[in-house]
Amino acid sequence: MKTLLKNGRILDPSQDLDIIGSVIMEDDQLVAVGPDVTADDADEVYDCTGLWICPGFVDPHVHLREPGEEHKETIITGTQAAAAGGFTTICCMPNTLPPLDKPELVDHIMDRSAAPEAGGVFVAPVGALTLGLQSERLSDLSALKKAGIVAASDEGSPIQDSVLMTRAMEFCVQLDLPIMTHCEDLSLTRGGSMNEGGTSAMLGLKGMPRSSEEIMVMRNCLLSLHTGCSLHILRVSTWGAVEMIRQAKFLGAPVTCETCPQYFVFTDEAVGEFNPLFKTTPPLRTAVDIEILLQALADGTVDCIASDHSPHALYEVQVPFEQAPFGSAGLESVVGVTLTYLTHAGILSPLETVRKLSTSPANILRLDAGTLRLGETPVAQVTVVDPDLHWTFDVAKTYSKGKNSMFQGMELKGKAMLTFCGAEIYRDRHFDAERYTTQD
Amino acid sequence: MKRSLLGIRGLELAEIEDLLGLAAHYKARILAGEEIQRVPRRAIGLLFFEGSTRTRVSFEQAAAYLGYRSTNFAGPGSSMAKGETLKDTILTLKYERLDAIVMRHNASGATQLAATFFGGPVINAGDGEHEHPTQALADAMTIIERKGSIQGLKIAIVGDVMHSRVARSNAWLLTKLGAELNLVGPRTLMPPVMSHLPGAIQYDLLAGIEGCDVVMCLRLQRERMDSGLLSSIGEYRRLYQVNQRALRVAKRDAMVMHPGPINRGIELDDLTADGVASAIHQQVENGIFVRMAALHWAFDGSGTDTPTLRLADGKKAAKKAAKAEKAEKSERATTGGKA
Repeated sequence: MKTLLKNGRILDPSQDLDIIGSVIMEDDQLVAVGPDVTADDADEVYDCTGLWICPGFVDPHVHLREPGEEHKETIITGTQAAAAGGFTTICCMPNTLPPLDKPELVDHIMDRSAAPEAGGVFVAPVGALTLGLQSERLSDLSALKKAGIVAASDEGSPIQDSVLMTRAMEFCVQLDLPIMTHCEDLSLTRGGSMNEGGTSAMLGLKGMPRSSEEIMVMRNCLLSLHTGCSLHILRVSTWGAVEMIRQAKFLGAPVTCETCPQYFVFTDEAVGEFNPLFKTTPPLRTAVDIEILLQALADGTVDCIASDHSPHALYEVQVPFEQAPFGSAGLESVVGVTLTYLTHAGILSPLETVRKLSTSPANILRLDAGTLRLGETPVAQVTVVDPDLHWTFDVAKTYSKGKNSMFQGMELKGKAMLTFCGAEIYRDRHFDAERYTTQD
Repeated sequence: MKRSLLGIRGLELAEIEDLLGLAAHYKARILAGEEIQRVPRRAIGLLFFEGSTRTRVSFEQAAAYLGYRSTNFAGPGSSMAKGETLKDTILTLKYERLDAIVMRHNASGATQLAATFFGGPVINAGDGEHEHPTQALADAMTIIERKGSIQGLKIAIVGDVMHSRVARSNAWLLTKLGAELNLVGPRTLMPPVMSHLPGAIQYDLLAGIEGCDVVMCLRLQRERMDSGLLSSIGEYRRLYQVNQRALRVAKRDAMVMHPGPINRGIELDDLTADGVASAIHQQVENGIFVRMAALHWAFDGSGTDTPTLRLADGKKAAKKAAKAEKAEKSERATTGGKA
């Protein structure tokens, strides 16, 4: 079967390609990409005039909650949400119950994500850096790597002990495994539930100071510099953290980082009257932080954008602010929010937008993804985006079980219309039926 | 119209004046021995998820004066202790047909959450470190009775501002009523300088209370010592105790307040707590009247014999009450009562 994506704007950051052209897929493989590509014998044709044709998007930071917290999300619903969000590869975080510290658990994720009812996207598991995420003993990282993890992380319970972190990095250098780290000095944030500042003081909520994040960013960058371990810093939120990462990169440390839409869209004032949907870790910061994050996205200090998709059941969120869990569901809003607040705002060009959402996270985690080069991905991974579609984000219409979104009701411009991962895995209801023709 | 009293921050000046006017009205009637019309069918739930004697008793008294039936709903031993969520507890009470809820909770914002599920009026009797609006109203009423008005007064709030819901409610209320406010305390117990709370930050007691008409102390929780926010009680006493010596820099007729319970010898010395400048007992008593006002206001006066009052009426009533009190005091003084 031959599929033609016709007359789109092809954006492939892996080859710095930004041209009008077409893409042909034969069965599950990409077979042609270029300006003069045509196929009169195509079985199906998608007219992509005015749309972007991109390498499938890659989300480096997703919580699928399975095993253990299937009431929040499952691998099935989470991968469906990923496909609907425009992603063809997602990395799932290890802070499940139990944490992903055994090869059997990794096998379980691989099996479930390949199930026919799943969303059809690749799931790249991230293993627990320490057994049970207890920060006491390292997991059997070589066995985990053999089972298929693409990185190891202390997500959910950041390693405080510097000796343990050094050992972890040394092991990971040997195994050629990147570490994805959540940077938080827990002694500074104990009992805290939002950014320490004017709003927290007004609301009588204990603050989480920016120094907590920055101290650990600095420590982990220094350990990365000295051990040579590839370090990916999860969800950067403060200007100080950005400046330290900039410095670490300048010094030659193999450090990369991500931020998430919530950190460049909202400040701590969004908490309003104790709205628990706006409770995140690290917390929403201030206008100055947003300004520096936008600069850092533009100049490349921030390498990529992650959703930090953190689904929760509503009953867990409808509690007093201090007791609410951290995080917001994000897989199905991240592309729309990124286009609205970065691309259309002139912060990122279309090509750089796609780099942040696809090529860059794929390179950081060494995934066979993030490119439209023929033969470089196991199957064709393509996302078609309508950059100009005006739509309203509504959690009631999402595939994710997590209806806890801080983007609820937001007017957005730009949306993933089609997702291909070997085959079409998602077609948006806004995709004009007249754009699609088939021989059958 | 039914409405909640969740905090002072969100109140309009007119609403504050209504509340204080109503409180003064009730005080005058009760001191004069006049009957308050009873509305026996109105039922309110007292939900104290966090321990409290003073505030709970005060609300019980207020409800009794108004003829409301009040039901206590204690935290331990209740369905909350059995793992029920706050949302379900509130929904249950809604369908138990309670007309209003008075609620205290150890989490900031918990009463806001309760109000979204309850539908009817919720009165905040203290939520975490956020607000304690009826305490602030009682304090404002007391200041107005003694000083005539709050407009233009210089007021200091001294102590653990950072962890105090009383301080937050008073900061909003006193500045909305036109006071010049200082927040005074050690750096570790103060909000950041760029805080969204009104009031000027002062770390030095004498600088903070200099020339003040009102010095309001806050209770110091002993656990602040454990978390390293203070080195010792002795140091706090030496640097921040409001005593006769410190008060020399305040106005000669400065009044001293404390929301209670007092740590005698720490926030205040005996002479100050029991002296003529102390308004502590008046604060407690006025607590009843502002809580009556809050319960009345929450239903906008419907079902009682009292029309909504403006501050002008309240001021008259307050003047009357102040006069009565003065007479009582001078009587006490001449009969050799406790000074």
